[in-house]
Amino acid sequence: MSAIIEIKNVSKEFKVLNRREGLKGSLKDLFSRDYKTVKAVDNISMSIQQGEIVGYLGPNGAGKSTTIKMMTGVLEPTSGEILVGGNIPYQNRTKNAQEIGVVFGQRSQLWWALPLVESFKILKDIYQIPNEKYEGILKLYRSLVDIDPLLHKPVRQMSLGQRTLSDILAAFLHDPKIVFLDEPTIGLDVAMKSRIRTLIHALNKERNTTVILTTHDMGDVDALCKRIVIIDKGKMLYDNDIDHLKSFFGSYRTLKIRIDGELKEQATLIQKELPQFSVSANDEWISVLVDEEKAKVIEVLGKLQHSYNVKDMQLEEISTEDVIKKIYEEGVQ
Amino acid sequence: MKLKKYLTLTRAGIIEALQFRLSFLVMVIGNLLYLIVVYFLWKAIYASAGTDVVNGMSFTDTLIYLVLATALFNFMEMYTVWEIGRNIQSGKIVLDLLKPMEYRKYLFWSYSGSFVTQFFLTFLPTFIAVAIVTHGAIPLGVNLIYFVLSVVMAVSINYSIDFLVGTICLYTESIWGINIMKQVIVLLLSGATIPIAFFPEPLKTIVHYLPFQSIYNAPLSLLLDGNPATETVLSTLGTQLIWCIIMMVISKLFWKFSLRQITVNGG
Repeated sequence: MSAIIEIKNVSKEFKVLNRREGLKGSLKDLFSRDYKTVKAVDNISMSIQQGEIVGYLGPNGAGKSTTIKMMTGVLEPTSGEILVGGNIPYQNRTKNAQEIGVVFGQRSQLWWALPLVESFKILKDIYQIPNEKYEGILKLYRSLVDIDPLLHKPVRQMSLGQRTLSDILAAFLHDPKIVFLDEPTIGLDVAMKSRIRTLIHALNKERNTTVILTTHDMGDVDALCKRIVIIDKGKMLYDNDIDHLKSFFGSYRTLKIRIDGELKEQATLIQKELPQFSVSANDEWISVLVDEEKAKVIEVLGKLQHSYNVKDMQLEEISTEDVIKKIYEEGVQ
Repeated sequence: MKLKKYLTLTRAGIIEALQFRLSFLVMVIGNLLYLIVVYFLWKAIYASAGTDVVNGMSFTDTLIYLVLATALFNFMEMYTVWEIGRNIQSGKIVLDLLKPMEYRKYLFWSYSGSFVTQFFLTFLPTFIAVAIVTHGAIPLGVNLIYFVLSVVMAVSINYSIDFLVGTICLYTESIWGINIMKQVIVLLLSGATIPIAFFPEPLKTIVHYLPFQSIYNAPLSLLLDGNPATETVLSTLGTQLIWCIIMMVISKLFWKFSLRQITVNGG
């Protein structure tokens, strides 16, 4: 296996005009040369293999889109090296375009007024897809999703979910080596989200397409990505397996129990009994965040059962969402 | 096949245009109103002049010229500046830049479909109507071939100018003012609103050295001159060809330079 995307020490700086306040300030700005430099991406390196699905995460404004734009060749890095399928993207943008597919969840590349099948035909000609290959991929699409009702529907009449689905199909049409999906499930309902995830997964498997996925929906990450990369403020925070991520902060699990008596009072009592763990009360449940390196959940439960009448219990794994939230808030230390 | 890549965009443009039936009707009515205004305006001008021929053009000559200029305008106007501006503001330009095709070509061919529809739906009907109403005041002969050649180059020059102005939107991020200014300058200096024969001498000389008159004045004079001298034809088409090349190179380079600025500094 060879790396399809190779990023080495890439940084990107933007020059931004220092804006002043008010009318007077705005007038002054017209003639101002007072720029400040903003580092959107700061010394990022990664290497992505053919066929991987990589979740590219980070809070809003972390530099995700900037990195994607550099990989697609729309932006040129200030320093560092990017190779996508052996090409330097910003120097061979048109050539690179042939090898990649892009979906931006917020906008569509399809022809608004035309039925989907016309958009497909246009893309077929633009990307010069041979007939048999085009037929083959349509056959594949038919086996994965029910596209026939969509094919003859003008894009402007589609629901957001149908449009996103169509956009994803359009991005995979020319059998690109890499597909960039920027928040593909934004604004979709649960059923549609799951359909789209299944589709992405199937296409990745079927065609061995590398997928770079940015999203704020941890459901997407859990369903699709083996590997995740997290950046914040332009810096890389994490690049590893998703399983590894969960044990990153120690092995936490949440034990929830239901007992008789006033919830708050009982919680305070339990907290006294278990000073090494944090105890909280909400919605009829008392939750104990157990660090399994200090004590086994079973032992904690046994201890509680000994002194209280436990009516019900639940055990929760710490979710990816919790971990990511923790990383965004505290960083990795 | 290479050409298919572009023609498919033309085809899409035609289908797309045909989806909006009502807009044709509105456009035809709008044109009609404009032509009525032009008719009465120039009637008044000729009435106040007191002579039948002003600046070497009779009333009928002027009217035919202006009506055809309007038809030509409808045919050639591509609203490129609008399109580029809107794409930049909405960010859609990123998607267009990621097509395996130069943006300049992509945009041109995307719009080329409207040439075909506009030609059949506005230019040709107007042309036939004028020919019938004026009882053959438009000469039909070899001049038609010159005219077609001339229009092809005019389209190219017009597009280059549009693209050049559209590129400025990358810097200003606003469209309205720039577009209006471009339109006024092009329409005036190209002789689309007032025939160049009516311009005062100094302005005529200046216009002679600008690319704009190659857009409307050149094809229309070739069309309306029944028996043009070979010399005139060659010099008109030659001038157009030169402008065609110059404007294409300038607009291409300016776009390349600007895009680099954007990719380096971010937009």
